[in-house]
Amino acid sequence: MEQHLRDQFDRAVGDDPGAPLDEMATAAIAAGTRLRERRHYWVPAGVAAGVLVVVGAVAGLTLPLDASKSDEPPVTVAAAMVPMTAPACLKRPVETDVTDAVVFLTPEVTDVQRAALDTALSQDPGLAARSYESREDAFRRFQIRWKDNPDLVKAVTPYELPESFRLRLRAAEQFTALRDRYASMGGVQEIIGRKCAAGAPIGGVL
Amino acid sequence: MTDSRVATSAPPVQEIRSGWGASRRRAKAARDEEFTAFVMSAGTRLRRTAYLMCRDWHLAEDLTQQAFAKMYAAWNRIRTGANLEAYSRRVLMNVVFDQQRRRSGSELVLADLPDHPDRAPAGTPELRVALVDALAQLAVKDRAVLVLRHAEDHSVETVATILGLSVPAVKMRNARALTRLRTLLGDDFPDR
Repeated sequence: MEQHLRDQFDRAVGDDPGAPLDEMATAAIAAGTRLRERRHYWVPAGVAAGVLVVVGAVAGLTLPLDASKSDEPPVTVAAAMVPMTAPACLKRPVETDVTDAVVFLTPEVTDVQRAALDTALSQDPGLAARSYESREDAFRRFQIRWKDNPDLVKAVTPYELPESFRLRLRAAEQFTALRDRYASMGGVQEIIGRKCAAGAPIGGVL
Repeated sequence: MTDSRVATSAPPVQEIRSGWGASRRRAKAARDEEFTAFVMSAGTRLRRTAYLMCRDWHLAEDLTQQAFAKMYAAWNRIRTGANLEAYSRRVLMNVVFDQQRRRSGSELVLADLPDHPDRAPAGTPELRVALVDALAQLAVKDRAVLVLRHAEDHSVETVATILGLSVPAVKMRNARALTRLRTLLGDDFPDR
């Protein structure tokens, strides 16, 4: 009976008018990109923080079948790669009242560019403190943070994690000027400000 | 912390701001190519499954495309998954269920089976139409069980995974839906 029923189902789709699959793929890519952007608009800014996200990522990767029924944004590799905001800081990056900032460097940053940035930052009177995290440091931190999620760790190489300078500002109103000063320097990818309470790590990220 | 590595050489030679963007673009191109290949291979079967669920080829195409869009949005995460086939069915069925929920009520009007006088007869046309129309009268989850189990030939276990049901629940729905189909189709029911 099963085979017979199967044949009936096959016949039931026998008047399939056909559809252009390449067009369908193109349209799905366009619509899917919009979906991604809606889900992730806050993530690239460096807010991929919190237990909820960690739990979501673990569940999302180990049980991909469960992801489709939940409306929570699934954590992508890209989101997981963003450093975690320190608990003593506001989750969202800020533009005003900035106490800390992170300068992410491009993957292609040269030693010369990095050195020039370091020199400039070390002489910047607007900064109370600074530290540096290399790609390798970032990767080690990433491995520790996602150690329960081997798929995620496997998906990322040290090359893909950005190196960064972490900065503490002397005065909050200096952020815009600081960003203007450094954003155009060679090797700088992005500069993100955070508002942190006393005691937060420099830069406001873990 | 980096003081030790500061070189005292000339100012930055050259800005390479585009590097990150270029590698992203390359990654996107590779992803799009892989995704398109997946659509080409899975699209027709998925669209036919959607048709059995909604009885309308245009709507089926639309639902399938929505399912693909959702999959593209999660592609980095799901592409290496062992069971992309089952996953795609699950996404499609969720799209179908959502669509049914939105237009719920209107689906119950199907007691009057429409005629399809203009359809070219091939094989057993009455039965062909009858099967799809009878399916439309089942509860949407029961229909999903029948379609996945008998049109797509998935195992009971796979159907359970796709629909997020227990194995006994799938068996129960399957048996119930087959009985109902038998009643609806009468002599046309292909059980012999």
